Amino acid sequence: MTAERVHPNYVAIWVWLVVLMVAGVLATRLPLGKSAVNSLIFAIAAVKAALVALNYMHLRSENWLIYALAIVPVLLVVAMTLVLFPDIVFHH
Amino acid sequence: MTVVFEQSTPALRGKIAIWWVIASEVMIFGGAVGSYIMARAASPGWSAEAAHLSTFMAAINTFVLLTSSMTMAMAFASYQKGDQRGVRRFLLLTILLGLAFLGIKAYEYTSHIMEGAVPWSGSFWSFYYMLTGLHALHVLAGAIVNFILFLAAGRGLSTGYRIEIAGLYWHFVDIVWIFLFPLLYLSY
Amino acid sequence: MSNPPRVAPSPSSVAQAAHGELGFWRTYVFTTDHKTIAKQYLSLGLFMAFVGGYLAYVMRWQLAFPDTSIPGFGFVGPETYNALVTNHGTIMVFFVAMPILLGAFGNFLIPLMIGARDMAFPRLNMLSFWILAVSALLILISFFVPAGGASAGWTGYAPLSARAEYTGVNWGINLWLFAHALEFSSFLIGGVNFLTTAITMRAPGMTFSRLPLVIWQLLTASVIFLLSVGPLIAAAVMLLMDRLLGTSFFVPEGGGDPLLWEHLFWFFGHPEVYVILLPGLGAVLEVLAVFSRKPIFGYRWIIYSTLATGVLSFLVWAHHMFISGMDPRLVMPFSIATILISVPLSLIIFSMILTLWKGSIRLATPMLWALGFIAMFILGGLTGIVNGSAALDIQIHGTHFVVAHFHYTLLSVVIFGGFTGLYFWFPKMFGRMMNEPLGKLHFLLTLLFFNLTFFPMHAVGLAGMPRRIANPLQYEFLKAVQPLNVQITISAIGLIIAQLPFLINFAWSIMAGRKAESNPWEAATLEWTAPSPPPHGNWGEAIPTVYRGPYEYSPPGVREDYLPQDRALAAGSAKERR
Repeated sequence: MTAERVHPNYVAIWVWLVVLMVAGVLATRLPLGKSAVNSLIFAIAAVKAALVALNYMHLRSENWLIYALAIVPVLLVVAMTLVLFPDIVFHH
Repeated sequence: MTVVFEQSTPALRGKIAIWWVIASEVMIFGGAVGSYIMARAASPGWSAEAAHLSTFMAAINTFVLLTSSMTMAMAFASYQKGDQRGVRRFLLLTILLGLAFLGIKAYEYTSHIMEGAVPWSGSFWSFYYMLTGLHALHVLAGAIVNFILFLAAGRGLSTGYRIEIAGLYWHFVDIVWIFLFPLLYLSY
Repeated sequence: MSNPPRVAPSPSSVAQAAHGELGFWRTYVFTTDHKTIAKQYLSLGLFMAFVGGYLAYVMRWQLAFPDTSIPGFGFVGPETYNALVTNHGTIMVFFVAMPILLGAFGNFLIPLMIGARDMAFPRLNMLSFWILAVSALLILISFFVPAGGASAGWTGYAPLSARAEYTGVNWGINLWLFAHALEFSSFLIGGVNFLTTAITMRAPGMTFSRLPLVIWQLLTASVIFLLSVGPLIAAAVMLLMDRLLGTSFFVPEGGGDPLLWEHLFWFFGHPEVYVILLPGLGAVLEVLAVFSRKPIFGYRWIIYSTLATGVLSFLVWAHHMFISGMDPRLVMPFSIATILISVPLSLIIFSMILTLWKGSIRLATPMLWALGFIAMFILGGLTGIVNGSAALDIQIHGTHFVVAHFHYTLLSVVIFGGFTGLYFWFPKMFGRMMNEPLGKLHFLLTLLFFNLTFFPMHAVGLAGMPRRIANPLQYEFLKAVQPLNVQITISAIGLIIAQLPFLINFAWSIMAGRKAESNPWEAATLEWTAPSPPPHGNWGEAIPTVYRGPYEYSPPGVREDYLPQDRALAAGSAKERR
């Protein structure tokens, strides 16, 4: 059950999340090309999601089954979207 | 005489169960988000529609939800320390922040509708309402569960292991928003 | 915090039920006992099988004798026919096959075969059944609303399904969508329950490599369902918005894409057929071992094949869409993957045949059904390869050839696999034996009429008869095969009537069959160590401890011809296989 687990510093994670969120908003104001900005904001989102998942959801200390449950559906959905891209995006 | 052996705990069972639920929810939101990405990539002009959204309000909402994730994690940490008042305090904060999110969302929806941007106004708006509506329903469900746990915590901490399980769900809902924010409000 | 108490938990309802305190409603209606819930799913499935069968009867009569009044129904026009075809498919897949093979078999077998007293979440289990019951009610109600039931096919293709004015059916399809939302939720909750239970509540010594194969199949099916249904749930929300709010996710005029619906539907729809297939396959595997008195040949390889089938099932969905107008570059990869998926399944069929080889065969009724499954599934699988070859599919897509194919595969699982399991586990479920002669009669009649019904359908399909048309005689080129249509219809009615021996047997045996001992089939798996039927909590004071795999039949050096999983051997006795 619940032994005294050393857990991450939740407040520190929160600070990072807020900083990243502001960075994401500011990124849209940068004089970069469209795809550069899009890549940046989604990279930032991915980092935020990873911070929440690894720290708040304790993924850092979970076993392989839980990791698989977290990762496999994401890969599956990405794969599905990629397979559908030629059809839905380029044939409209 | 009952046989005694190594038995899994309700906490472990609940945790495994909620991760399976999260896996299937990833497929649901993933299907919805994937469809949005493809539809947007196929149609020019959505950025113009998206410009009608208030990035400022959504940023506030993002801040609200991120903070609620922190308070939810702290509620569970309080349970681990046996701190009943801490549990109630942090659960209550999480619930209030969740309700604040919904309130801001409701305000957003109202202002869009007043301007004539309804679900059937065009593809972008259809997806916007579908994605944020589905997400908001999940926030509401999570807030209700958290409220039930808040009431239970008033009576004692024996079922407090459920806070971790509800927390995992709540963090997942937060992660969905972490992606919806750039997808809908920030991207070009 | 304190550590958890290290005793086997005994839910209070178990203790209460043991004292008979629960009363009628908590014992039979709002029960949390997995065995009773399993029977509830079984009852729902059998009842809806009547409804689905009745719809099939009406459809077939219309096809054989178009524009005549169908006895017990009346005249059928094209719109009505569409509703019949739609609901026949929907009901058979979601309200017969899944409740029986997953709801009933899964709920009954998983705790008993892994050595647990109940599911991990008994109250959620009860909830999942009642959600499904409400869902079934919505489908039944949909027949009686203005403009009748859903009529856009069980596949609900857009844009036909996306606007009420395209079908003329408004609330029929809306209710159909709500019913789906509910049944998806029901099976999601159920799947989570199955997986959590199997992961965390196996008896001591029950490692994953000692699990009976039917459990492996049920778990794989649950994973497949959990991971495949999500995009369709999203799509169903979008379709509801199209219908109720006038959005255009799938309507071309509004900027939507009908192909998106097809992709999202079949991304689930194809894995779904494996969700149905695997548990039926599992039941057959169990019976083959018991009634050949031999271990299953290639236990490990069957597991690998099952997992491979699970993975591959996600990679073949667009074989339903070869001529849909989708990107032609998708056709070849999906065709190749479709042919590939026959490999692991063939391996499993070969293992089944090798299990029989030189076995000491006992031709009891469950074994007859299992053998029938093998034969029928091979036939269905062969036409699967034909359909999966994209070049051939151009000719046969949307014809009755496809209908013949999927009835051979699906019905071999649901009917042959389902009855394999039902006849086999009936003594455990109800504490009585079924009548053998009636069972054999049921099998022979079903085998006969099943083939008479669906084999000629291949020819009708090759002649070009499309699916979902109400009157084949409107086409000059189909007049030549109309005699086949008539024969199919008559055989279909025979197939329905052939189920009568089963119904009589089932009802009579429950009430007055010979009482069953705990292990009438001399089987080695754990459910046969509990009484027939098992009490609340399944075993008395001690749950079993497991010492070996599930298929120790005809082991050397043992007096009986099998070794139960839970029998401890004296030191120095016969060497264990695993």
